[in-house]
Amino acid sequence: MDYAIETKEQTSVVRMRDRLTFNDHAKLRDLIRELKVGPAKRQVLDLASLTFVDSAGIGMLLIAREELAAADKQMILRGATGQVRRVLTVAQLGKIVTIED
Amino acid sequence: MPPPASQARSRFASLRGSGLPAGRLEALAGRLGLPLWRDGDRNGNGDGAGGGDGTDAPVLLVFTVPPDIRDAGCWAPPVAAWIEAGDLEDAALAGLAGRATAADLFVSVTTATANTLQLARHLVQALAARHPLPEERGSDIEFALHEAVSNAVVHGNLQVQGMKGLTVEALERFSQDLADRLADPALARRRVEVGLRLAGETLWIEVADEGEGFLPAAPDAPAPPGRIAGCESSGRGLDLIGSVVRSLRLLDGGRRIRMEFAL
Repeated sequence: MDYAIETKEQTSVVRMRDRLTFNDHAKLRDLIRELKVGPAKRQVLDLASLTFVDSAGIGMLLIAREELAAADKQMILRGATGQVRRVLTVAQLGKIVTIED
Repeated sequence: MPPPASQARSRFASLRGSGLPAGRLEALAGRLGLPLWRDGDRNGNGDGAGGGDGTDAPVLLVFTVPPDIRDAGCWAPPVAAWIEAGDLEDAALAGLAGRATAADLFVSVTTATANTLQLARHLVQALAARHPLPEERGSDIEFALHEAVSNAVVHGNLQVQGMKGLTVEALERFSQDLADRLADPALARRRVEVGLRLAGETLWIEVADEGEGFLPAAPDAPAPPGRIAGCESSGRGLDLIGSVVRSLRLLDGGRRIRMEFAL
């Protein structure tokens, strides 16, 4: 998985690309750290270019949300399609995280 | 139990090598009683005739890990079994070739290789070359197979516990354990085995590891409707796998998962 962060005023948009799996543990750790210390209160994870997510990836997104909430920041998942959208639905992530189309 | 040579001959038409020295490949072919596959040998029979439509006689591929094992070509018909040589002697490779005869598509790789190979993706592509597979169905199968292989690698062979608690500390612990265990050659050489079997419009997939086994928490607890008992919060994504399979069983003390899919 690769990502790029763009921050404008109070919102950071993180564009994630390719596959988010257990192998991305180090990258997600770095991403979470980066988002926590950034100034933006609102973090939008743009998943439109994400092609695949596994259960570890879901777990890491939940960790991101917890850590950001503890830092008084809001996390939103946006633009999930295909397999990623299906997994988010089955995992009922919408009950825990804000998900936008 | 027939010896591996006649077993292999009953299923495979030829042996193909990737990264193996020629002498070793010939010796292995001799032991298995198989002709060597020839480049341009599209139907796998060793006679150089054309073909390649997925119904050709299956080819067994034994490989070290050169870059081309990650290329689509290695995963296309007529290759139907992929065995990583690793540090195994020929007798052990012959045994694996014998095991490969029970499946339509068979893989045996080390944990180190399974960790980065995107096995699920390659196998679903190999399956799609042999049976019509709508994109969404293929994607669901790839997901379930990826989860099962990840479990075999991470929790099975490397014995890394799932992330406990939704904290970055849990993530860091997981990350460190994974790196440490992968660096242990005794663990990294442990095998992951995958077998796919087509029976009409039903697909069976088994994934096995060489770890210590696993028991789902509270196996006697009642399951919510449509869910599989004991699989919630297993940390192994079994609940998610359960949502795309027709049935799921854990065998061999939890070292083997057998999944049934409707095609």
